[in-house]
Amino acid sequence: MMRHAIAEGWLLLRSRGLVSPILALALAIPISLAGVTISVRQWLEPVIDLGDREGVVAILLHPRLDESGRRAWIDEQTRRHSEWRLVAVEPEELAQRMSAWFPYLEELLEREGPEMLPPMVEIRTRDPEGVRELKTDDEVLAVGPTSSVNQVVGRVAGRFATVLFTVAGLLMAGAVLFAGVWVHLELHRNAEEIAIMRLMGATESTVRGPFLVAVTVPALLAAAASVVITVVAVGWISRLAAPLGLAATGPSLMVVVAQVCCAIVLPLAAAIITLERHATTEE
Amino acid sequence: MIRIRGVTKVYDRRQILRGLDLSVDAGEMVFLTGPSGAGKTTLLRLLYAAEKPTTGEIWLAGERVDTMKRSGLPQLRRKIGVIFQDFKLLRRKTVMENVTFVLRFHGIAPREANRRAYKVLKRLGLHHRQSALPESLSGGEQQRVAIARALVYQPRLILADEPTGNLDADLAAELLSLLCDINYQGATVVVATHDHALLESLPARTLVLRRGVIDYDGRWPP
Repeated sequence: MMRHAIAEGWLLLRSRGLVSPILALALAIPISLAGVTISVRQWLEPVIDLGDREGVVAILLHPRLDESGRRAWIDEQTRRHSEWRLVAVEPEELAQRMSAWFPYLEELLEREGPEMLPPMVEIRTRDPEGVRELKTDDEVLAVGPTSSVNQVVGRVAGRFATVLFTVAGLLMAGAVLFAGVWVHLELHRNAEEIAIMRLMGATESTVRGPFLVAVTVPALLAAAASVVITVVAVGWISRLAAPLGLAATGPSLMVVVAQVCCAIVLPLAAAIITLERHATTEE
Repeated sequence: MIRIRGVTKVYDRRQILRGLDLSVDAGEMVFLTGPSGAGKTTLLRLLYAAEKPTTGEIWLAGERVDTMKRSGLPQLRRKIGVIFQDFKLLRRKTVMENVTFVLRFHGIAPREANRRAYKVLKRLGLHHRQSALPESLSGGEQQRVAIARALVYQPRLILADEPTGNLDADLAAELLSLLCDINYQGATVVVATHDHALLESLPARTLVLRRGVIDYDGRWPP
């Protein structure tokens, strides 16, 4: 039966010479796109904040605020911004940090004591930019940097990756649909032969086998093409960053395996579902 | 081999078969005749399970056909050789491929399949056209390909729907001789035909179907 499926599947492909390369290309492009995006993301992760994690913004409060005033201010901000997490930085800890960042202040801080420093509060939030509104608050002396270069680049890269994933997903859905529609059309075109074969005693696997073979060939081509495209593209992109001291890279084994699985499983699943839905009605 | 009990078949409120009862023993040769629209082709279609009866039971070789699941049909149909009135040849396959493809379902190796197909085609005078496509054949030649395909795997039951419709007298006689040989080897043969010459040439059991019921069951002529 396998020999029959391969022979008939090959005939099916030969009779529609352009479908095979077009389907292979339609599958390879989104799979490569997704593979390149994941690989580049994995490569950049250690150096750029891609996680869209919480940012920390330091707020210096006015020195006129005493302990109770500071607590009241924190309570008010917590009530107004439920997504903010406000933590008061104790004067001793702030003095330690100041000494570490600016060693020349160490002597002054030892002499005057940490009480000379204005009260500081740290706000943890997913939207550090939103903290800027506090600049106009009468009790606030200064608002620290709301984001770092890494965070901004990470956010841009993250959104770019989301767009690429969405495009890849849509293209992939189109390619899988194309595989299903092609199988449906071929079923319709061969309906008479299928009916005759059934009357002669052909089993479902005999009838469906050639269609699965015809889809497997472009799927294998797509798997090979997407791996090659990903390796070349990731290598080329990562070499661009060599001046930053980052080493060139390639896709991880997991990405390659996922690409091969997607290229083979998805169109085959589309073909199996189409055959399940329509093979018995095309008589 | 064939047991039919109270079979009716209704198409669009038109009753084609009306409570048909029939029994054909293994190794029998039976002619099925009657006017056009009497239900001959419908009866054959019910026998090879292309359709289900509206009511009644159909048994073939001890298996009930009318309630058989779809998955059981291939196995059943491999026991039956059907010669269709409209030939039902695969248009994109050569004569040889049309005859050998059924042998693949029986798991016969390509070389053996080709040998058997050639033998049958030679007997039907078609061996020189083995590479031709059906569309390049005459009606009679296409009919012989359909016959070769039905006979090549030596089925236990042969159902032939107007098998001599497009054949000249010599070829019709050759076909009858072939069917007789197969019947002599133990196969059951049911031939639906209008051809009175064919009925007269062989003293076999003849069923006359009229308006969906068996009007006569015996030797021809009545």
